[in-house]
Amino acid sequence: MGKITLSQVTKSFGDVQVIPPLDLEINDGEFVVFVGPSGCGKSTLLRLIAGLEDVSSGRIDIDGAEATELPPAKRRLAMVFQSYALYPHMSVRKNIAFPMKMANVPEDEQKRRIDSAAKALNLSDYLDRKPGQLSGGQRQRVAIGRAIVREPAAFLFDEPLSNLDAALRVGMRLEISELHERLATTMIYVTHDQVEAMTMADKIVVLRAGHIEQVGSPLELYRAPRNLFVAGFIGSPKMNFIEGQTAEAHGAHTIGIRPEHIEVSATEGMWQGRVAVSEHLGSDSFFHVHDTGLADVITVRASGEIGFRHGDTIFLTPREDQLHRFGADGLRM
Amino acid sequence: MARAVKTQRKALNTAIAWGVGLLIFFPILWTILTSFKTEAEAIADPPVWFNFHWTLENYVTVQERSNYFRHFWNSVVISVGSTLIGLIIAVPAAWAMAFVPGKRTKDVLMWMLSTKMLPPVGVLVPLYLIFRNLGLLDTRTGLVFVLTMINLPIIIWMLYTYFREIPSEILEAARMDGASLKEEVIHVLMPMAVPGMASTVLLNIILAWNEAFWTLNLTAAKAAPLTAFIASYSSPEGLFYAKLSAASTMAIAPILIMGWFSQKQLVRGLTFGAVK
Amino acid sequence: MSTKASRAAARLMISPSVILLLGWMLIPLGLTLYFSVLRYNLLMPGDNPFVGFENYSYFLTDPGFTAAIWNTLALVLGVLVITIIGGILLALLLDQPMWGQGIVRILVIAPFFVMPTVSALVWKNMFLNPVNGLFAHLFKALGLEPFDFLAQAPLLSIIGIVSWQWLPFATLILLTALQSLDSEQLEAAEMDGAKPLSRFWYIMLPHLARAITVVVLIQTIFLLSVFAEILVTTNGGPGYASTNLTYLIYVQSLLQYDVGMGSAGGVVAIILANIVAIFLMRMIGKNLEA
Repeated sequence: MGKITLSQVTKSFGDVQVIPPLDLEINDGEFVVFVGPSGCGKSTLLRLIAGLEDVSSGRIDIDGAEATELPPAKRRLAMVFQSYALYPHMSVRKNIAFPMKMANVPEDEQKRRIDSAAKALNLSDYLDRKPGQLSGGQRQRVAIGRAIVREPAAFLFDEPLSNLDAALRVGMRLEISELHERLATTMIYVTHDQVEAMTMADKIVVLRAGHIEQVGSPLELYRAPRNLFVAGFIGSPKMNFIEGQTAEAHGAHTIGIRPEHIEVSATEGMWQGRVAVSEHLGSDSFFHVHDTGLADVITVRASGEIGFRHGDTIFLTPREDQLHRFGADGLRM
Repeated sequence: MARAVKTQRKALNTAIAWGVGLLIFFPILWTILTSFKTEAEAIADPPVWFNFHWTLENYVTVQERSNYFRHFWNSVVISVGSTLIGLIIAVPAAWAMAFVPGKRTKDVLMWMLSTKMLPPVGVLVPLYLIFRNLGLLDTRTGLVFVLTMINLPIIIWMLYTYFREIPSEILEAARMDGASLKEEVIHVLMPMAVPGMASTVLLNIILAWNEAFWTLNLTAAKAAPLTAFIASYSSPEGLFYAKLSAASTMAIAPILIMGWFSQKQLVRGLTFGAVK
Repeated sequence: MSTKASRAAARLMISPSVILLLGWMLIPLGLTLYFSVLRYNLLMPGDNPFVGFENYSYFLTDPGFTAAIWNTLALVLGVLVITIIGGILLALLLDQPMWGQGIVRILVIAPFFVMPTVSALVWKNMFLNPVNGLFAHLFKALGLEPFDFLAQAPLLSIIGIVSWQWLPFATLILLTALQSLDSEQLEAAEMDGAKPLSRFWYIMLPHLARAITVVVLIQTIFLLSVFAEILVTTNGGPGYASTNLTYLIYVQSLLQYDVGMGSAGGVVAIILANIVAIFLMRMIGKNLEA
């Protein structure tokens, strides 16, 4: 159904190549997340797949057929935009019906699909309202509803949660994941938030400057980042990087250790430092440790409440089996 | 204390502003009042204010003597016609420039504006001769054409500034939803731009209705709109103030009302978006 | 949002406007230029020989031309000064809290919607007429001799009438600009101890500068072409006393049927208008980038 293949796709705006030649395969039913810092080309890539921009060279196949030159309307893809892009002059019902109206779906079938989408998305009571009268989360659901009723080959999401507040974002994240479980349709999801990527994706595509840095499942990326960029981007708080003698002792140019893979102690350990800032979240505590002689700051995560304060001496011991070693070229060794 | 001072200030402001406002409005008010007087009352010295014999006679006379409504209808046809034709030509152009801007979009817009800067008198002679040769002098068709061309840059500009405020994501959504270009413009863009399009239409009807260079120079008796018809009162015979007032009142009333409705958008339209 | 398809569609959709406007501009402009170097009078049939710049030298040395240039300048500058100063004062007044602000606004704006021929005729007959006009009545009531405005001070009278028409425009735009001034700026200035006059001078006026420029430029474009007001009040007279450039060209081309001379005049008018237009376009162009 929704297999999408990109072969040697490039995109240039004028003289600037924002996507160098890129190959990517998205399998039917997969939840793929494009993640990367802003300006990495992830939205452009999504828009190329959508057909809202055309590729400068290369080929896009959707569902086994070439779609490179197809207009967006003919690609059987549905998109949820960052701003939701609801039609402000239409009621929720008309918004959801619009793609079916364009496709000349019979009235009763339209009604059936609207009702079932509204039910699934908890919108039944709002069908006759205008988008302006809805909350952010409701608008988001209308946008999803409009995408669902088309029964597309794949869904495209362009940073759909970035306009919601933190609490709603977690809720919508779950809803979208559930939706994917239920529909089992291919979804391509663009975000700059690695937490969204980790929690939702079957497959994460990490992008930098239009370039794919790594493709893999969330845990693959977490456990075995291919290079320094991916290592630093995936995981929160960020992985600590240590260069110099300590790294050389491990036969690497740089070693990386995640904050959660460091044991802390008040009395003994491999490294010694001074706590600059401690953040207590209840379930976890984060310590930002200075003066270790390893890096400007080493971040450590300890579970539960451990009572280090500003200025305290702290001893750190990395878990050897969780050390990541990188060469001078930045690649994993 | 402070509140009392504030109220006093407000009262003073109100008094001054109403005074000035009425002074500025007075010529219009006086015209309207005079239109209901008899000719003798219209020139009475000292002037009569409200205590005269209100009559509609002038309105009747104006229509009977000069077939006023034909000229009124000419004005309607010319202003509404040129605006609607202009709109049909301008909507696609404004769509293109607002949503598919290219490197030269800005230059095209500025060039369109520059055609508006051409003083009409600079092209009076050739246009007059062309119209004469094509038999367009003193026809509504000819005037509709001229006024369409005169106002087209303004229509495009106004629509462009309104369209630019519509997020392009919404149009992209329509495209993803399977809408063709035509459906995208008709079902999504135009309904969203209704307020902007309405004020564009209103302003252009006003401008076309009041246009007094081409309407005076290219028409005679037959196709003359109200601007030209009223001008024929400049060499009167006998007493005519009340009738002039009646004719004037009818000529300005519809536009006054439309103008008051569109005053907010007027600023934007007349300054090509430079002041909002 | 641009694909090859949408760019192609855009070109197609923009082309009717471009073609029409291009034709509208180039054909008459070309003809004007062409006629301006011919001896071409509709009253004298025959060939229209090429005469080079003869028309221009006649037009530029015509006594009417010098008068028309001065009158045009006086008209434009006079109206600009009156409407800008009046407009600023009115905008400041209308920006104050008061009762019935909306209605006052409507009263002030109204003259802008009155068609030029109506306002000229109403002023000419009902106000400025030396026998029956309201001003004549007023003068007599004050024991003064009635004054024949249009005969004694034709240009001033026309400046007055045109100012009345354009004052609302200036007011409306300056008021809009004034209302876009962040009130916190004024409050900050007040906290800093600025008196009302210095608040106006240092905060409001600079904020209005842009709007004032726009008003000046746009009004200039329109004021250079004032026509109907002159046609129905003074017919440019007495003599050339109230003839502006537009009216002079009208007289030469449509009343004296001198196509060549009228066209030469037209070219001169275009050049003059373009000088203003260049500044206006720069202003608007800058705004387009913002």
